[in-house]
Amino acid sequence: MVLVKTPDSMVSGNSNRYLDVDKINKSLDLVTCNGATYAEVRLVALTDYSVAMRDGKLERAIPGQEIGATIRVLADGAWGVHSTTDISSLQEQMSPTLKLAQSVAARRSAKDQPIKLAEVPIIEDSIHWVPKKDVRNTELSQRLEHLKVMNSTASEHENIVSVTCGWHDENIHTEFLSSEGMNRTWSFQRSLINGMVTARDGGNVVSYRTRFGGEGGLELIESCDVDALGENARISALRLLKAQRAPSGKMPLIADRDLTGVYIHEALGHPCEADLVAAGDSCLDGKLGEKIGSDLVTVIDDPTIRGGYGAHPVDDEGLDTTEKCLIKNGVLTEYLNHRETAEHFGIKPNAGARAQDGLHHPLVRMSNTLIHGGTHNDLDDLVDDVEYGVYACGSRGGQVDTGRGSFQFAAQEAWLIENGEITTPLKDVSVSGLTLQILNDVDGLTKDSRLAAPGFCGKGQTVPVGDGGPIMRISEALVG
Amino acid sequence: MNLLPDGALDRLQDGCRIIGSRCNQLGISQWEVVATQSYGHQIDIEGGKISLAGGGGEGGYGIRVLEDGKFGFAYLVDVKSADEAINSAISIARMSPSIEGFVLPSEQSAQQVAGLFDKSIIDLDSEFLLNQADAIISEVASLDSRAVVTGGGIGVSANAASILTSEGIESGGLTTSHGVGVQISIEENGQLTSSWQSKSAKSQLPNVPQCIERAVEWAQLTRDPIKVEAPEDDSPILMTSEGFSPLFSVVVPTAVKGEKLVRNESFWSGKMSQNVISSELSIIDDATVEAGKSSGSRDDEGVPSRQNVLIQDGKLTGSLWSTRDSAQQISEGRIDSAHTTGSAIRSGHQSPPISGCSNLFLSSSKKSHNFESMLEVMGDGFVINSVMGAHTANPTSGDFSVTSSSILRVENGEIIGAVKQAGVSGNMAKALQKGVYLGDDVRPQGSYSSGTMYVPNVLLTKGIRVNPV
Repeated sequence: MVLVKTPDSMVSGNSNRYLDVDKINKSLDLVTCNGATYAEVRLVALTDYSVAMRDGKLERAIPGQEIGATIRVLADGAWGVHSTTDISSLQEQMSPTLKLAQSVAARRSAKDQPIKLAEVPIIEDSIHWVPKKDVRNTELSQRLEHLKVMNSTASEHENIVSVTCGWHDENIHTEFLSSEGMNRTWSFQRSLINGMVTARDGGNVVSYRTRFGGEGGLELIESCDVDALGENARISALRLLKAQRAPSGKMPLIADRDLTGVYIHEALGHPCEADLVAAGDSCLDGKLGEKIGSDLVTVIDDPTIRGGYGAHPVDDEGLDTTEKCLIKNGVLTEYLNHRETAEHFGIKPNAGARAQDGLHHPLVRMSNTLIHGGTHNDLDDLVDDVEYGVYACGSRGGQVDTGRGSFQFAAQEAWLIENGEITTPLKDVSVSGLTLQILNDVDGLTKDSRLAAPGFCGKGQTVPVGDGGPIMRISEALVG
Repeated sequence: MNLLPDGALDRLQDGCRIIGSRCNQLGISQWEVVATQSYGHQIDIEGGKISLAGGGGEGGYGIRVLEDGKFGFAYLVDVKSADEAINSAISIARMSPSIEGFVLPSEQSAQQVAGLFDKSIIDLDSEFLLNQADAIISEVASLDSRAVVTGGGIGVSANAASILTSEGIESGGLTTSHGVGVQISIEENGQLTSSWQSKSAKSQLPNVPQCIERAVEWAQLTRDPIKVEAPEDDSPILMTSEGFSPLFSVVVPTAVKGEKLVRNESFWSGKMSQNVISSELSIIDDATVEAGKSSGSRDDEGVPSRQNVLIQDGKLTGSLWSTRDSAQQISEGRIDSAHTTGSAIRSGHQSPPISGCSNLFLSSSKKSHNFESMLEVMGDGFVINSVMGAHTANPTSGDFSVTSSSILRVENGEIIGAVKQAGVSGNMAKALQKGVYLGDDVRPQGSYSSGTMYVPNVLLTKGIRVNPV
């Protein structure tokens, strides 16, 4: 182990500690003396603010404070975990958590390997990603002003029956202490606005959602053209009123940045999570170093992309975050991992551990996941060669069965492509496929790659993520 | 150690009284304090073995204040920060629009609902759950030596909840739950199939619930897929309760909210008292069901729970309302009259109440069918046990386009094999309009939105397109 003492960087008003470091360290030492090979306490204090506006009127505003801490103890190769909002109880829960771990270990069969953790540098420091404008200082009236602008442009049509606009900001402060001597504090903020426009024409009712946000403070929202966000949502909702049902079957698909991001998140990102691989629940098991996609496909997951909704400076095992290259030119190069799975596979830890909050234990998770750009100039360049296909935009989410390697994602709106031209608007388009097949079917990417709208990923726990890439063409996808 | 610490509910209620007293001291005319505290044990299973044992507790308080029809809300963990939270709620209320006629509900006596607390659960410790996990892992191996529990777990919890309001509502209670969920995979000859099944209840489950056998069975049934041509037209589908519930839960609970209906945001807007689904079908929301997963004697703003008939014999007859939603829609002129239906729900203490469902039942006045007779009725079609992407269904329009890898081909009333993968699309509101047959085994299922869906196997014969890979 290497002890690294980094000078406090960009320390802001977050220097106050919730954990009594001396007392917690003593209890970590004690639990280690009593048989634990490793123990940690991670505390998350969250200050957040949500606002909802309906048709221009404040619907609800919710300021909140949450605090939670999780103890993890590794003993005899098994985990015991305890989570609580009662911070004063942490020391007394250390010993019962050790016993839990020992109970699990006692049941391990001879064929099962004990859990071990990959070695990592031991760091003592504070990292605070200080936003230009601390979002906690934002008045409710300021938040409402932004939402009113969106509401105003989104609602300007007689067929728009309702506009809901939302705001969510949060300041996340984390403290991490481990029996190995790790002592880290980090903080950052996220800010997000969203809208949902509902349009109706007779019995035909449709809705369109829009979202903007990322890691950062008020400056992020101020950088957004909220007016255009509302206007585009209105235009899309009205277009959906006249849209046709999508054709079904296998055909070429062009996906915008939002859908490209969801596609790569579902189809590749999840199967690349090493905890799923280790559990036998990934179609990418045993495929490191193999060619699984077309030469065009290079995919990264990078929590250090500031402004991305999945950005964070330190992972939830206390490691500095770093860029991971999952696929390079079609070859599977890296799994996302945490310390346990890094040791399991004998690979370098790459700081992929994330927990939903202070009350959950870390799992292997994505952050900001992107496909690199390709060689096509723009959308027209990709559409030109398509005789009959679909151009799909905006995400309504997706899902994957990582074991089977099958996935599904849904578009907010779409168009038919006929003889190289974008023609009829379509609605309720979804795309499904098999990871190991469809990565080979990517046959065109525009040059520019960047993160799209922020999203949320569920894997038993929900975490914010950024996804994106260029505009992408798949030669054959199952459209429904 | 007992799962539920001694005096847990008393402490929670004391906290409510402290916050309520502070609200009175600050001269707030109407206020409501809710509190939740949950304690639990959990076991995670990964890769065929127990991967983690955990436990803990969490909770907090939510405060709603109301002045002249304007409301504000804030939540907190520690009673010590009550003043800060109350002041936040007051300042929000002052900026909120006034809703004429909006007052917090007054006290009404509520009937207790039986079966929500099982004392035996609070006596369960981690050792018990570890034994249960071992039993499940062993049972899976004995059912099929190839089958592995690749993910899932077991959990028990005890939950204390309390509400105290300026209008005289003071109520609190304890509930328990026990849940099991497993992802079973069978990998052989380079082919992997899997199935997720779960079961939860307010009372203690059997050591190996039936869902375990069902998970293994579906991992087996979906092996060795056959080639199936895409039907040219719509195709009948028999969705198991597990497969149907996620889609139903995304679309239907939203469509029957009163405020959605009067705002023209529901596909059933403007259709009150009209036939909206098949004339033998009814949809009822009932929070008073004994041992119901989403039952309670009161809703989440203290109003006594009740049964709400939403669709009777195909006709839209009711909708779900909270106090605030009903007052707001009247004051904004969208409806002449509306009252709370005891349908206020919230996500724990961290949010103010909204309208939503509790236990939503889909039933039929026609004879129900067993699985085999539904296959006969179907003739040619598909059986679907789970779908991917149910959360992407559009609750506004009822349209959905999802994917299933747990799907079987049926010809002449016989299952002839599995289909590797298929797209399944249609419109839920239209699919329920005719040619709907319900099975005889209603199973409660968790949902993507709110509440619990009590639905049987459902045969939909119209308006669904299936596109096999």
